[in-house]
Amino acid sequence: MAIDQSVTSAVAEPKTSSGTNSGVVIETRNLTKVYRDFWGRRKVAALKSLDIEVRQGEIFGLLGPNGSGKSTTIKLILGLLFPTSGRVLVFDQDATETRKNERIGYLPEESYLYKFLTTDETLDFYGRLFDLSAEERKRRIDELVELVGLQGARHRQLREYSKGMTRRVGLAQALINNPDLILLDEPTTGLDPIGSRDMKDLILSLREQGKTVLLCSHQLSDVQDVCDRVAILHQGELKELGRVTELLKVQDVTEVHARGLSEAAKQEIAEVIKRHGGTVESIDNPTATMEELFLNIVRESERRPGARRVTSDSAAGDQGQVKAEAKS
Amino acid sequence: MTLQPEDFWSFGEWLLRPQAFLESALLQGVVLIALAILVGLLVGYLVSAVRYGPAEGFYAVARAVRDLIRDDLPGTSPRRIVALARLAYKEAIRRRVLVVVGLFLVGLLFAGWYLDPRSSDPGRLYISFVLTATNYLILLLALFISAFSLPADIKNRTIYTIVTKPVRATEIVLGRMLGFVAVGTLILIPMGIASYFFVTRGLQHDHEVADIQELADGRFEGKLSYDQFHEHTFTLDPPAAAGEPSLGLTDAVRGHRHVIRQLDGKYVIGEPTGALRARVPSYGTLVFTDRGGNLDFKGIDVGQEKARGGYSSAGIARLVGVAREARRLEYGYVEGGGGSLGSAIYSFADVTPSRYPDEEGIPMEMSLRAFRTVKGDIVSGLRGSITLRNPDNTQLESNPINFVVQEYDVSEERLPRQIEGTDGGQVRMLDLFEDLVTPDGRLDVVIRCLDGQQYLGATTSSVYLRPAESSFAWNLFKSYVSIWLQMVMVIAFGVMFSTFLSGPVAMVATFVCVLLGFTAERIYDIRYYMDKGESMGGGPIESMVRLLRQDSMTTDLDVDAIAAKVIQGIDAGLIYTLDVIATSLPNLPKMLSTAEYAASGFDIFGSLLARHAVATVGYVIVAFLIGYFFLKTREIAA
Repeated sequence: MAIDQSVTSAVAEPKTSSGTNSGVVIETRNLTKVYRDFWGRRKVAALKSLDIEVRQGEIFGLLGPNGSGKSTTIKLILGLLFPTSGRVLVFDQDATETRKNERIGYLPEESYLYKFLTTDETLDFYGRLFDLSAEERKRRIDELVELVGLQGARHRQLREYSKGMTRRVGLAQALINNPDLILLDEPTTGLDPIGSRDMKDLILSLREQGKTVLLCSHQLSDVQDVCDRVAILHQGELKELGRVTELLKVQDVTEVHARGLSEAAKQEIAEVIKRHGGTVESIDNPTATMEELFLNIVRESERRPGARRVTSDSAAGDQGQVKAEAKS
Repeated sequence: MTLQPEDFWSFGEWLLRPQAFLESALLQGVVLIALAILVGLLVGYLVSAVRYGPAEGFYAVARAVRDLIRDDLPGTSPRRIVALARLAYKEAIRRRVLVVVGLFLVGLLFAGWYLDPRSSDPGRLYISFVLTATNYLILLLALFISAFSLPADIKNRTIYTIVTKPVRATEIVLGRMLGFVAVGTLILIPMGIASYFFVTRGLQHDHEVADIQELADGRFEGKLSYDQFHEHTFTLDPPAAAGEPSLGLTDAVRGHRHVIRQLDGKYVIGEPTGALRARVPSYGTLVFTDRGGNLDFKGIDVGQEKARGGYSSAGIARLVGVAREARRLEYGYVEGGGGSLGSAIYSFADVTPSRYPDEEGIPMEMSLRAFRTVKGDIVSGLRGSITLRNPDNTQLESNPINFVVQEYDVSEERLPRQIEGTDGGQVRMLDLFEDLVTPDGRLDVVIRCLDGQQYLGATTSSVYLRPAESSFAWNLFKSYVSIWLQMVMVIAFGVMFSTFLSGPVAMVATFVCVLLGFTAERIYDIRYYMDKGESMGGGPIESMVRLLRQDSMTTDLDVDAIAAKVIQGIDAGLIYTLDVIATSLPNLPKMLSTAEYAASGFDIFGSLLARHAVATVGYVIVAFLIGYFFLKTREIAA
């Protein structure tokens, strides 16, 4: 699959299609991190000369296999690690400044929360760390418990929670200060498809509120679903950076979606393509994703509890898909 | 209990040492804090210089200092500290540290089996048992809770969600300390209450009248039953009027007496009194005279009495070599017999009728020692005499009051308001406050030994006037305050070490600090002999060589000259380093010995607690600064 290389260069002149201003929230300059052992011997270069900018109001994805430097980048941005060389600026301040944290929310990879606290106690504790007043804390906690759907479990200790529930508490604590920048480390791991969908919807709604989101993930579908721009890392090096829509666009393939076509019509279209010098790769009915199927089943079940879903083969049958390659 | 010179200092004297500022606690504190900062900056610079290069390293250190002063100290929020303290508190509570209280209570339940009921001073035994048990238990607990919490947070990465909030390193360190102090306090309170009841109820007992007979003068004399491994004899005065009860008092056995009331042939034996006391002593200054009557400041040394030690009271002055000598106060001896003019002269100040209103006289207590060069009459004990003398006019002198020395025990005397004496060779009745006490309230008490070839031992704290008596419960409370202060200190050190060491290592480091505090006097002693050039086995390496070669401690080191130089050089380096470390560590044994006051039945005076409190605050500040610095410069996620 040929990916348009010109997109990468297009990033240099940012397109502000979604109407947000292009203020830079996170900037890394020549950011390098080398892990050393106790004696200062070089162990591994986790990040090599990373230059990225995250702009206000966008959802930025860090993508890469395990050990590619995603988490290291996030930790450097948070000031949990100090760069070996280069700099990280967050809201134009050095990443090691404590004050920047006023405007940041962070959901760690695993929810590193105190297991002996209840949901309410956890959120109250983190609220206090932001120096919020008692009324403010109460208001925010009520809102967030509602948002992440933990109303029924507010007074249970976190040790009794499933992974998905802890993840929700983790998310709630990340949002307790109504942050401008939200860093999400693997936001959907441990969540069931519904939770995962909710999380993605939430991320999108955060963008609508004008917040900036940086997430890192190796769940490609998550990144594809929500991110405006992605940076792909491998072995500590930046391999690709650009808008998701453009990065994924296969420039020399045309896709037409149509409904209600007869077999004859499909034949005819194929012939038209041939006449224009294109090759027909496939004429097919599209398949729904497993996620869609699963979500449909759950929604159905919630509407009519107890009934088994009847599979209708025609569900996607009337939708034809034509995939053609234009010979250029 | 032998008090040391520093025990007589007031708070101001301790803090400033007007005559010897080099020995002052203030100077020691300031030097220590300055040293901690200096060493911290230096170590910080070296580490960052290795990591980032000399110039960058300097900036890194400068940034940490700037952050502390510009952002972190002013930005420290009480609400965040309280939140973090509550977290530490909840963590400890939900880890069930309160079990310790239960263990302590169970321990108390069984302690009765092991505390010897035949002890001559059960009060002392009970009090020192509960205080020692509480003290060690609490310090151990403080060690455990403080050293493991922060490293566990870093290991579990729960710290990630904390440090990514606008939380200052100052708040993390202070929050931990406060939280653990709260836990410790919560544990200490029930322990204190349980101890109080254990001691008071444990000493409670009853007797019955076993035998009684009337004396010639109408009084009664009798014996009480043998209970709790002891018995009393008593005398009973006849009733003042018909229908009134007759009252009596038993003799003092094992530190207590009983009051006896008799009415209509029925005897009521009161609760034991006098076992739990909190005497408020008023000490004087002590000088001796030798057998010729010449002034002598130390008295006769009878050998094996002058223990070395007490160096630590000299503070920095000792460390820099200005004050070298050991300053432990021990008993000096007075030669007895008709031909000897030897005496121990105590000069008391502030002796006024308002301070000692009792018509029966001024209560004076003595705990003297005896040293015999001939066996003499061992049953009757050594005899001594007390003479009261006007310090300004030595012609005004009372007749001697004779007494028998009660070794290892406190005997009580009354200095009568009216006493026969000599006024320039003329014998007349002297009034204590009019004739013997100077207008500004000074009084000399002269103690002599009456038996020839025998010696009477005295130290500054062995004779004192007793203007007041404090309540035992209050005194016990004060000993618990002292334990609390030690706990705070250990927690501060534990938290400090846990900012840069892993849990077990931080615990061991804290433990070593406590231990070094206890061995400090030994180290000072080695240093003393090293400075004096006296061979006492040398430092660690030299001792090792001597051990392996099976050489005696007092011979010269039997290796060739160069090897000896090298060994002694290394030893000197080690000892001086250890000396500096030991001098900078808290003097925990001194704080621990506060319990001794309560156990011996002396009021823990306020200035002693104030001293401990100020020292604790000083060490908490040092621990806080070091902890902050390490946490701030640490890569949390590394």
